Amino acid sequence: MAEIQDANQASQKLFNLHLYLRQRPVMLGLLSALAVMFFLIVTGLSNIFYAQRQALGDRWFHRGVSDLEAKRYQAAVTNFRSALLYSRDDSNYQLNLAEALLGANQTAQAYAYLLNLWDREPENGQVNLELARIEAAKGQPQRAIRYYHDAVYAVWPNQQEPERVTARLELVDLLLRLNAKAQAQAELIALQQSVGEDPAEQVRLGELFVRSGDYERGLAAYRVAVKADQHNPRALAGAGEAAFMLAQYPLAEQYLEGAAEANPNDKTSDERLKTTEMVLKMDPYRSILSVDERSHVVMRAFAIAGQRLTKCGVPNDAMSGEGTKPSLGDRWTAMKPQITLAQLSRQPELADKAMDLIFRIEKQTNTFCETPTGPDMALLLIAKLHEGN
Amino acid sequence: MAEANPETEVLLNHQTPAMGWIGEHSPRRLWRAVFREERFFLVLSVFIGIFSGLAVVCFRFAIDWARLYLLGTGAVLTPQRLLLAPTLAGLVIAVLVIHLFPATRGSGVNQTKAAVYIYNGYIPFRTAIGKFITAALAIGSGHSLGPEDPSLQIGASLASVLGRKMRLSRDRMRLIAPVGAAAGLAAAFNAPISAVLFVIEEVIGRWTAGILGSVVASAVSSVVVMRWFLGSESMFRIPAVELRRPSELLAYAVLGIVGGFASVVFASGISTFRPICKALPRWTQYFQPAIAGLFIGIIAVMGAPQVMGAGYEFIDQAMHGQFTWQFLAILAGLKILATLLSFVSGTPGGMFAPTLFIGAMLGASVGGVQHFFFPHLTGSAGTYALVGMGVLFAGFLRVPMTSVFMVLEVSGNYSIVVPVIVANTFAYVIARGLQPVPIFDVLTRQDGLDLPSMEELREEDILRVEDAMQPPDGIVLEAQQSLEKALEEVDRSRGEDLLVRLTPSGWSTVTKEHLRSMAAAGKRAARVGDLLLVPHIAFLHPDHPLETALRYVDRWPIVPVVSRVDYRKLEGIVSKRDVLDRYREFGEG
Repeated sequence: MAEIQDANQASQKLFNLHLYLRQRPVMLGLLSALAVMFFLIVTGLSNIFYAQRQALGDRWFHRGVSDLEAKRYQAAVTNFRSALLYSRDDSNYQLNLAEALLGANQTAQAYAYLLNLWDREPENGQVNLELARIEAAKGQPQRAIRYYHDAVYAVWPNQQEPERVTARLELVDLLLRLNAKAQAQAELIALQQSVGEDPAEQVRLGELFVRSGDYERGLAAYRVAVKADQHNPRALAGAGEAAFMLAQYPLAEQYLEGAAEANPNDKTSDERLKTTEMVLKMDPYRSILSVDERSHVVMRAFAIAGQRLTKCGVPNDAMSGEGTKPSLGDRWTAMKPQITLAQLSRQPELADKAMDLIFRIEKQTNTFCETPTGPDMALLLIAKLHEGN
Repeated sequence: MAEANPETEVLLNHQTPAMGWIGEHSPRRLWRAVFREERFFLVLSVFIGIFSGLAVVCFRFAIDWARLYLLGTGAVLTPQRLLLAPTLAGLVIAVLVIHLFPATRGSGVNQTKAAVYIYNGYIPFRTAIGKFITAALAIGSGHSLGPEDPSLQIGASLASVLGRKMRLSRDRMRLIAPVGAAAGLAAAFNAPISAVLFVIEEVIGRWTAGILGSVVASAVSSVVVMRWFLGSESMFRIPAVELRRPSELLAYAVLGIVGGFASVVFASGISTFRPICKALPRWTQYFQPAIAGLFIGIIAVMGAPQVMGAGYEFIDQAMHGQFTWQFLAILAGLKILATLLSFVSGTPGGMFAPTLFIGAMLGASVGGVQHFFFPHLTGSAGTYALVGMGVLFAGFLRVPMTSVFMVLEVSGNYSIVVPVIVANTFAYVIARGLQPVPIFDVLTRQDGLDLPSMEELREEDILRVEDAMQPPDGIVLEAQQSLEKALEEVDRSRGEDLLVRLTPSGWSTVTKEHLRSMAAAGKRAARVGDLLLVPHIAFLHPDHPLETALRYVDRWPIVPVVSRVDYRKLEGIVSKRDVLDRYREFGEG
C-alpha cells in the first residue's frame, strides 16, 4: 500500500515537473541554456576550423615563396592561389601572387590583382611600386610617375627608407628616359637627403646626377664614394667624367688616372683620360708655359685646325665666318705665313688672334662636319673652356 | 477613431475600466504580457534566429571540410579527385536521400512553402539533419549547387521543431516556417534585408504586420550570430562602382535582355529535364546524382573546375577582371549545364549560388564585349558582374524586389541601384513573357502540390470596398436630433435600417421599428443618440479591401463607408448582399 502511495507521489511529482517545464518562462530559460551550450560548441568548432585554414594557408604560402625565390613562377602562382583560398584578403598572399604572375609574364592578371590591392590599400608602398613598374613597361609614363610618387610617400612594412630610395631611384630613371631632366634633378635632390654614406648608393646617385646634367652634384656624390674607397673604379670613373663635363680637367685627369689604374679594362675612362691629357697639353693659356712653349703649342694647334679644314671639305662659302668677312679657310691661309716661332715671340697678340681663328674653325667644323676626335676634340674643348675670355 | 480593424473593435465593444498607470504596468501584468502568444512568438523568433545562425555556421564549416577532404586543399585539383569525388559522393547522397531523408531532395524553398500552406508549419527535424548532411556532401564534393536554399530549409525546420516544443497555436505554427527560413537564408547570404524580402516575396506572398516583426527579428539575430563566427565582411569584394553617363544605362539594358534569355534557357532546362529524370525507373535514382557528378567532373577536368560547388571565389575573381570575356561566357554556359545536371538528378542543394554565378559570369562577359566595341564605357567588370547577378535573380527566380536589394546588400553601393533596376526590369519582363510560370511554381506542380503562386498573388486584382458600395440614398440621422424630428424624416427612407451620425464622431445604426416603438413609449422628446441599442458600429473607407467589409457586414445590416479626410462625411454604404454580389460578378469574370 505504502509502495503504491510512493509510486503515486513520484508520478505526481514527475507530472508536476512536466507541467512546470511546459511553462513558457521555464521553456525560454531552457532554450537560453541550450543556446549558450550550442554557442560554446560552435565556438570550439570555429577555432578548429580557422586554425586548420590558417595552417593550410601558411603551408601553401611558404611553398609559393620557395618557388618564387627559385624563379619557378608558374608553380608559385598555383601555390599562392591555393593559399588565397584560405585567406582571400591577405595582402601578403596577394602581393606575392602578383609578383609570381609578373614573373610568369601574366602581366594582365598581376595588374588586376595589384589594382584590387590598391583599391583596398592605396597607401601600400609595394603595391604602388609594382603598379608603377607595370605602367612604365606598358608605356603609360604619367600613371607610372603617379604610382612611383605614391610609392615614395607610401607605408612600407619594415625598413621604410631603403624601399623609398629604391622607388625614387626607379622614378628618376624613368624621368631620365623621358628626358624630363628638371623633374629628375628635383627628385635626385630629395633623394640626396635619404641616401647615407653608402658608396654604392652614392655612385648610383652620382650616375643619375650626371645623366640628368647636374654634374656638380654628381661630382659631389662620386667624391663621397671615393672618400670611402679611393680605389672604387666606378666612383673614380664617374668623378672623372663629372669633372671632365665641368671642364675641371686637372681634377678629371686625376680621377681618370685613378680609374684607369683601378680598372685597366675601362676603355671609356681611358679615352676620356687621353682627351683630358690632350686638353691640358694643348691649352696655350696654361700659366706654367714659357713664351716659346706657348708659341709651339699655338703653331701645332694652327696646323691641326688647318688639317681639319682641309679634311672637312666644306666649300668656303659655307664657312664664311660673319657677314662679308673672308671665309675661315681664306683667313687661315692668309695667317699661315705669320705663324712662325719668331713672329709669335715678337707679337704676343698674334697668338691670341691665331687661337681665336683656331677656335672658330673647330666650332664651325664641329657644326658642319663629323664629330671631332683626338686633337680636334681637345681644341674644341679648349675653345669652350675659354669662351667669353 | 473607429477604424475597421480588430483592435478598434475591442476598444469599441469592451469598455475598458479606468485603470491607473501602476495597475497597467505592474510586474505581474508585464510578465504575463511578455508571454502572451504574439509577444512570445517575437521572443521565440530571436531564438530561432540564433539557432539557425549557429546551424548555418556549422553547415558552412561542413561544406568546407567536405571540400578539403574530398577534393583536396589546393587551388589546382587532380583529375582523379575531380572525377571521383562528385561521382562517389553522388552515390552516397542517393542512398541517403532514398532511404533516410526523402524530404531533402531539391532546393528546399518549395518544401518550406508546403509547410506553410499544407502541413500547418510542420517540418520534421530529420529534414534539417538530412539536408545538412546531404547538401554539405553534395556542395563539398563539387556538385554545382549552393548552400543558401538548404540553409533556408534547415532554418525553417529548426523553427518548426521549436514551435512544436513551445506548443504554439496552429496559426502561429503556420507562420513559424517562414521565420526560420528568413533566419537561415539571412545567415547563408549575410544579407538580412534580402532574406526578409525573399521570404515575403516568395514564401509568404504578402506583407503582414503580424509576421514581419518576427521575420526581421529572426533574420537579424541569425546574421549577428553568423557574423560573430564568420566575420562581417560582405560576400563579395565589390570594386568601386560609378555611373558617369545616363546613356550607359543602355549597356545595362542589353545585359538585362541577355540575362532574360539566359534565365529562360536555364528555367526551361530544369522544367523539361526534371520530370524526365523523375520518371525514370526507381533504380536509376541511385545513379542519377553520381552520373551528374561524373559529368561535372569531366567538365572540370576539361578546364573549367570553376563550375564545381557554389563558386563564390570565382565570382569574386570575375568581378575583379581576372577572366577574359570569352572564358566568362563559356563558364556561364557550363554552369547552366552543370547546375541542370545536379538539380534534375535530385541532388540536394540550392539554386541561389549557381544563379548568382551564372549572372556574374554572364554580366562580366557582356560587359567585356561592350567594352570591346565601346571602350569609353565606364562600368568595370565588377559592375557588370554585380548587375548580372541581380538580372539572373530577377529573371530566373522571379523575385524582382529581392534581386535589387540583394545587389545593394552585397555591394554596399547605392550608386548601382539604377543600372540594377533597369537591367532587372528587362530580364523580368522577358522571362515572364517567355516562361509564364515561375520556376518555383513549376517545381511545385511537378511534385504534385498546388501551392499558391506568389507571382500570381502579387498581381491578382484586389477588390475594394468602393467596388461594392452603394450610394447613400437613405437619410442619415443625427445623434443630437430629437426622436420627434427624426420620425418626420424616417418615412422618406426606403430601407428599414438607418444610419446615425454620432457626436463628435463615429457611426451607429437603428431600425425604423425601434424608433417607432420608442415613440410609442412616450420618448418623442429624447435624443436619437440616447435611444440607440448599439452605441457604435465600425465604418469603412472606400479603399479598404473588400474582404475587410466581410468581417462587418454580417454583424450590421449596413456599414457606412466614409471619407478618410472627414469621418463624418458619408461616401456610401455596404451591405452583405452588395459584397456577395460583387464577389459573384468578379468570379464570373
